[in-house]
Amino acid sequence: MKACAFEYERPRDVSDALKVLSSEGAKVAAGMQSLGPMLNLRVVQPRLLVDIRRLEELRTIREEGDTLALGACVTHAEIEDGRVPGATGAFLQKVASRIAYRAVRNRGTIGGSLAHADPAADWPSALALLGGIAIVAGPSGRREIPLERFVTGLFSTDLASDEIVVLLKLQKLGAKARFGWWKFCRKAGEFAQAIGGVLEDRERGVARAVIGATAGAPFVEAGNRRLFEKPDLDQCLAAADKAGLGADLYSRRLHAVALQRAIAEAQRR
Amino acid sequence: MTNKGVGARLPRKEDRRFLRGEAEYVANLRLPGMLDVAFVRSPMAHAVLGKIIKPRGNEDRVFTAQDLTGVRPIRAVSALKGFKVSEQPVLAHGKVRQVGELIAMCVAPTRAQAEDLADEVELELKELPAVVDMVQARTNPQALVHEHWGDNVFLESLVDDDIASIETKARVKVRRTIRTARQHMSPLEGRGVVCEWHKRLDQLVMHSATQMPHLNRAGLAECLGIDQGAIRVIAPDVGGGFGYKGILLPEEVCLAWLCRKLGRPVRWIEDRREQLSAGANCREHHYDITLYADDRGRLLAIDCEATVDSGAYSSYPFSACLEAAQVSSILPGPYKMERYRCRTWSVATNKAPILPYRGVARTGVCFALELMIDAVARELGMEPHEVRLANLVQPSEMPYDNITKKHFDSGDYPQAVRRAAAMIDVAAIRKLQAQSSAQEPRRIGVGFAIYCEQAAHGTSVYHGWGIPMVPGHEQCSARLTPDGVLELRIGAHSHGQGMETTLAQVAHTVLGIDPQNVRLVHGDTGLTPYSTGTWGSRCMVMSGGAVAAACEVIGTRVKAIAAKLLEVSAADIHLEAGDARVSGTDRGMSLADVAHVWYRKPQLLPVDIDPAGLEATAGYKANVDTGTFSYACHAAKVAVDIETGHVEILDYVVVEDGGTLVNPMIVDGQIYGGAAQGIGTALYEEMPFDEQGQPLATTLADYLLPSATEVPSIRIDHLETPSPYTRFGQKGIGEGGAIAPPAAIANAVNDALAAFGVEINESPLTPRRIVEALARAGR
Amino acid sequence: MKRVALTVNGRRVEAEVEPRTSLADYLREREGLTGTNLGCEHGVCGACTLEIDGAPARSCITFAVACEGASVRTIEGFADDPVMEALRQAFTAEHALQCGYCTPGMLVTARDIVTRLPDADAARIRLELSGNLCRCTGYVGIVNAIQVVLKDRGTGGASR
Repeated sequence: MKACAFEYERPRDVSDALKVLSSEGAKVAAGMQSLGPMLNLRVVQPRLLVDIRRLEELRTIREEGDTLALGACVTHAEIEDGRVPGATGAFLQKVASRIAYRAVRNRGTIGGSLAHADPAADWPSALALLGGIAIVAGPSGRREIPLERFVTGLFSTDLASDEIVVLLKLQKLGAKARFGWWKFCRKAGEFAQAIGGVLEDRERGVARAVIGATAGAPFVEAGNRRLFEKPDLDQCLAAADKAGLGADLYSRRLHAVALQRAIAEAQRR
Repeated sequence: MTNKGVGARLPRKEDRRFLRGEAEYVANLRLPGMLDVAFVRSPMAHAVLGKIIKPRGNEDRVFTAQDLTGVRPIRAVSALKGFKVSEQPVLAHGKVRQVGELIAMCVAPTRAQAEDLADEVELELKELPAVVDMVQARTNPQALVHEHWGDNVFLESLVDDDIASIETKARVKVRRTIRTARQHMSPLEGRGVVCEWHKRLDQLVMHSATQMPHLNRAGLAECLGIDQGAIRVIAPDVGGGFGYKGILLPEEVCLAWLCRKLGRPVRWIEDRREQLSAGANCREHHYDITLYADDRGRLLAIDCEATVDSGAYSSYPFSACLEAAQVSSILPGPYKMERYRCRTWSVATNKAPILPYRGVARTGVCFALELMIDAVARELGMEPHEVRLANLVQPSEMPYDNITKKHFDSGDYPQAVRRAAAMIDVAAIRKLQAQSSAQEPRRIGVGFAIYCEQAAHGTSVYHGWGIPMVPGHEQCSARLTPDGVLELRIGAHSHGQGMETTLAQVAHTVLGIDPQNVRLVHGDTGLTPYSTGTWGSRCMVMSGGAVAAACEVIGTRVKAIAAKLLEVSAADIHLEAGDARVSGTDRGMSLADVAHVWYRKPQLLPVDIDPAGLEATAGYKANVDTGTFSYACHAAKVAVDIETGHVEILDYVVVEDGGTLVNPMIVDGQIYGGAAQGIGTALYEEMPFDEQGQPLATTLADYLLPSATEVPSIRIDHLETPSPYTRFGQKGIGEGGAIAPPAAIANAVNDALAAFGVEINESPLTPRRIVEALARAGR
Repeated sequence: MKRVALTVNGRRVEAEVEPRTSLADYLREREGLTGTNLGCEHGVCGACTLEIDGAPARSCITFAVACEGASVRTIEGFADDPVMEALRQAFTAEHALQCGYCTPGMLVTARDIVTRLPDADAARIRLELSGNLCRCTGYVGIVNAIQVVLKDRGTGGASR
């Protein structure tokens, strides 16, 4: 299982990266924990890899008023180790610590995971739940993409092939915010079969739920207070139906249970 | 003084190199000028193979069946009457019969470049309907895997008996269809070959990750048309086998041919995707089984029709029908009954040729039978372990010839069940169950499984199963070197069993030599006596017996020499702690001193000393061909989450009896490892195929191997009833751990779900299957 | 081909490599460091785990060219490490290896556990080990060995 031949460039900064990325057959590479297997399996065969993993600009973690700015190449391990402060950091830490295995978390990046958009991965669903924006850089400058609309389907995003995710700007959660995150994996560390997440931040008037690990984009429902007040299975099954999971009995049940357990966890906080 | 012989928990000598990254697996070998091979493999399960178009400009680096002139196909013909012969071409021509079948061989300086070449080869394939379901393949085939057969059955067998008379008097009749999924043994190291044609010795030298180098040699000789002496097969450090490496590979024949053609060493290392897509070859059984019992749960009869999915070809050396032949003879398990009828079919399908995975047919048989025992128990409202106790062969009846003429050598089967029931604490579990509310999503259950495992069987048994290569005697060559180190040479080979340590322990018990001064040379046809290899839990009995025999010969000669030098009679000498001592005195000399005299001062030797000296080859033959019967009762306590179908193993106990344990630490390790694989079979591992015969779990993201979070802490209790038939009373135990867990866990899940009227009779018990079964039952 | 310079087991190396060469293959084929084993080449089994810049990483899905300036430590590079020595002794005492193929990767992960998570209990140990597959031992000896070393370190033992 050896990859097809490719060329490799390590640009100095984002604008350098964009220049290289604009050429034919070029693909962004960061942690490569998802890309590496795909290369070895030969399911992707890029002409050129543009390695942005160590660009300083993409590795920042800082607070900006009531938002948190996370560089796209911050690793899951850095988040797991508590490098992101506050209540938001606690939520991110909980998600990060259950991604794959530590060896993968040491290299894999939050921006990379989001851009790859595997439905069964954690960040696409978690970031859609949290809300905020992704700042992406392209040949015609930078633009903002709301996180709940970033992933558009199975391995599909709003990102163009000549664009790079640079920064994630996340709304800081209030100290009294409650969250729940529950995913079902058949064995530890593997991709999720179902994800349920909820976020309630009354200070900011936020009540959101996400159903992830679907066949496409994560399903986000905002403002459904009933879900939080009365997390019975029927409510959650209804949400699963809205997420397009009605056809398969087991999948529908599993996603509904994931959501229900996420709500129960949030309520225990 | 610490015991370092038979019975000691001696830490392993061989650990040193593995802990430092100094092991020599086949992929670590570097031969000058070595080239790498990648294969073009069939993307289809069943197709007519037309033209193979080699990449322009690189035709001389790609080889097909047409190029391999003089190379014969692989043939493994069972001696059983009615066996249908299939030939497996080493490179396909005319037709392909499984996804992953070899079509072309590409050679290049690196593996990556060889894969590039393989990608450029074009194939003309006309797809045929795939034969995927074994029952349909037999009863209503859409296509024939081997047209000249007229059907898809390698072999049918029948053990007949009069069931009709039982039917009328049985109070309980329970009938079920039970299926086990196809699996992949998945050793962490795949298969691999490095070989060269050695010019000076005019010999093929092949390093292969194999469990049976002598049999690989025999198979290579047959396929290449050269004599066995012109072939040397060496098994280096091997990273796990479990049966996966007990085969003559078409890849081995191809590389053997290639290295001679090119005059350069060549290498092929199997990668995980090749392994999973081309090698899922075991465990797939189908049972239509009926148990008849009286109102006290006593078994009257078993009536069974069993089908084994044997894949596309008959693999060498075990053949396609070993497993189905086994089913007939071992289905009755450790139980008594009045009647037994069993019909089996080994069926050909468009999948990888079957190989015996750890436990062989016993895992499937145990699954079927033990689930039926629990079904009988539910029918009668009895505790499942009580039904077992009512039917097990009693210790007072040992040795016992059962209904299929298996000769159980020794043991207390009921005691194993009673102890397991106590350890898992059935009473406490029943209390918990009674107390749990109907709303509780976590349901607790308990399940048992007991088996007895025939191992180290001798010639007549294998001959009776029609195996093409019948194991006979086992030899060991022992030699005391001039400085008193003992070298042991055996043809069997370790792939994790720790023989460098355990056989040194045997030598210590016989000769008194420190295990640190014992060196094991194994698994090399150029250096070691013939052996059919490491499989069937045979080595501790067979190789252990041979080592003891060879050491005894050496010991006799050592005593004769020491007696002369110490001026006593040989009868006054005993061997202890590396010395030859005069009993009852403090006089003695070291083994090294004795060796020194033999090699350097023969003038001091007794006149009548055997001139063969401190070198001896001795053999071991099983006293009784039916071998040994180790046994164990496993018990599992599980929690089933009825909302998600997830099964958590809360407690797992094994009460096992392996007779005398040569190294209890290693025995425990074998049980833990086997049980982990059994848990994989029970809950996680399956290779599904679609209607076109495409394997659907071709990476480890889909083929789920249990990790440390899926395998609980396992508690083991040992009974030790020595076998009356082996050198130290030891029994073969290597496979046992993998036999019972699927049955124990399925029984526990079914116990947990009994209140809903759910019974699952299929492995693995995936969350999906559990949720769907509950939904069907209205939950 | 691309030039890459990195440190391997404390020794600076420079090489011309095809970008598609994994770190594992580079070490095994070019540096003669065959201690790191390949089990799947898609990042699941953990056999190839080694340390990059002091943190465990999968060498099968890391490309050598991406390791410019990195400090790589393979199983061979831990020959004199006291923590690894404590683990080696515990692995033997607790029978934590059989065929040995998973062992180098398992040891690197085990070392990460005992140094990063001194309070890990059995459940946590198992969770941290879930990315290292073993087909032989059933993990019992491995978990026991790690617990022995943790306990020894906790009481100020020699492996500190």
